[in-house]
Amino acid sequence: MTKAQNKVMSAKEAISRFVKDGDHLVIGNYTVGTCAELVFEVIRQQRKGLTLYSQSGVFDVEVLVAGGCVDKLVSTYVYRAGGKEGGSAVERALKDGKLEMEDYTNFQYNARLVAGMHGFSFMQVLEGPMVTDLFAKRSFMGENKYKVIGCPYTGKKILTVPAANPDVCIVHVQRADKFGNAQYWGALGSVAAASLASKKIIVSCEEIVEHDIIQSSPHLTLIPAYRVDAVVEVPWGAHPTEVLGYYNLDRTMYAMFFLMDMRGDSLKTWMDEWVYGCPNRQAYIDHYVASYGTGKLDAIKAKPYFSAPADYGSAYGSCWDNNGLERTMGITLEEMEKMMEERGMLNG
Amino acid sequence: MAKKYTLDELLIITAAREIHDGENIILGVGLPTTAGAMAKALHAPNAILMMESGIIDFQPLVPPNHIADANACRGFSYATDLFSAFTMTYRGFVDVCFLGVAQIDKFGNVNTTVVGDYYNPKARLPGAGGAPDFLSYAKRTILTMRGGEFVNKLDYFTSPGYLDGGDSREKTGLFPKGSGPSMLLTTKGIFRFDEKTKEMHLAQVHHGVSIDSVRKDVPWDLKMAENVTETPRPTDEEIDFVRRFAPTEAVGRKMMYEMGMANAIKQAQARGK
Repeated sequence: MTKAQNKVMSAKEAISRFVKDGDHLVIGNYTVGTCAELVFEVIRQQRKGLTLYSQSGVFDVEVLVAGGCVDKLVSTYVYRAGGKEGGSAVERALKDGKLEMEDYTNFQYNARLVAGMHGFSFMQVLEGPMVTDLFAKRSFMGENKYKVIGCPYTGKKILTVPAANPDVCIVHVQRADKFGNAQYWGALGSVAAASLASKKIIVSCEEIVEHDIIQSSPHLTLIPAYRVDAVVEVPWGAHPTEVLGYYNLDRTMYAMFFLMDMRGDSLKTWMDEWVYGCPNRQAYIDHYVASYGTGKLDAIKAKPYFSAPADYGSAYGSCWDNNGLERTMGITLEEMEKMMEERGMLNG
Repeated sequence: MAKKYTLDELLIITAAREIHDGENIILGVGLPTTAGAMAKALHAPNAILMMESGIIDFQPLVPPNHIADANACRGFSYATDLFSAFTMTYRGFVDVCFLGVAQIDKFGNVNTTVVGDYYNPKARLPGAGGAPDFLSYAKRTILTMRGGEFVNKLDYFTSPGYLDGGDSREKTGLFPKGSGPSMLLTTKGIFRFDEKTKEMHLAQVHHGVSIDSVRKDVPWDLKMAENVTETPRPTDEEIDFVRRFAPTEAVGRKMMYEMGMANAIKQAQARGK
């Protein structure tokens, strides 16, 4: 089914319509350009019982787990702030028995989504990790975390992971059109796989652009409109993380977050101020500017380094030349129709 | 007179010297990216620097914040996805990979996942990331350990070194011939792995470090190279590169946090807060 319609809506509406309690939710971004505003909105709307997929579960996973949204986590990398005295929301939740976590390698995690994206039921992964505790120690995936099969062609033992098809993907990109054609560039990571494996896709973007811009640069489109359910325009939508071509990581804000993240009570204070205390991204940015001035944001704005344009031009855009002659037969439309009539080719 | 250097500078520069011209290198954040940047700038101009997020053939202008940090460079040559970054490793196109270590055993097996019981952790560490696949399939791997520990038995076996030593890694048939850790770099010295037994031994100690103090950190009877030498000192050119490219890494975390905090307070005062 094609969804060629205007899908632009607010983050609030998108999350409210497309993310349900108990969903399998995947973060489309990989370390960089985290869909921070969509993540915050999930927390503000207090979604519960999520199974969360996050490739590098740093900022996004910490706040979602601390917000009480997540029962189960599938990841390859989580954050732990501050060395021996430090900690993380994930560590605290694991210790309290409030979170179950399944560990994969970066490649295996991605391969589950690649399988899901292409409609396959499993994916072959690199067999080396078969000897490690990743294979031996399993959490809620149990025997379905991995299976070993024989290659039907070589007989070699092959390690496999099952496909993942999350209910919904939230992802931030540089730009999209109102139909949902989403363009992303930089570290491609798992952005396409996480998005396209999912049943529903919510795209947030730094800016909505005319469809013509998308059409002249299709190599940048990672997610096509017909797969997208909602488009949310959110300038600074990934702050304090970065968006290539728009702004850098806000190192001060990020460092501050991880300082607060070391303990549960201080993280709650941070979230009260920046997540619950700001009803949307505009309020968050207003609060940021009121706290730190505009200079801090100006200092991390990207200076342009444009991609060389790829020329999608061609010699002509019609079968009829400037004189109205068909390029192969050398006749006009009128002449063609006359001949078809004369030769008795026309029915009805 | 030759310049004096910090321990952090020595570690970065020692790691950089392991990179040879023309090699394809997978880099992690921190010490490895600075080492890669230095190697490319000073002695390995044709090295191809790669990150598993799919940023291939880049030259960082500032130290990347993470392994998907395209903001740290002015463009790069090949934008691919994570799947392809690992399958090119599987196919043998990655010469060197750098990995950090939290726990290591005598055969170079690595834990980066958990301290204590996996199902009831004392400390939950970051986890696997790309490490198990890279340590499996990169032609050689350089391990770095700062703040980690040597153990007889890992709390969790994240990434495969030489398994039980000897030919046990090769006998599984799972790994390319000759692959595995080639070196462990710590704050005290450099360890290498015996060609036959695959057990690690102390090869070099950093300036001012005694062999006894290294032994104390290791719970088994640590073997020694025939002639344990001192880690070669960095050149002035190398030290200058690290200070200009990655000043906060040259000074180390403690001074970075201390000065960073002081600077933040100064800026807040200037805004009248």
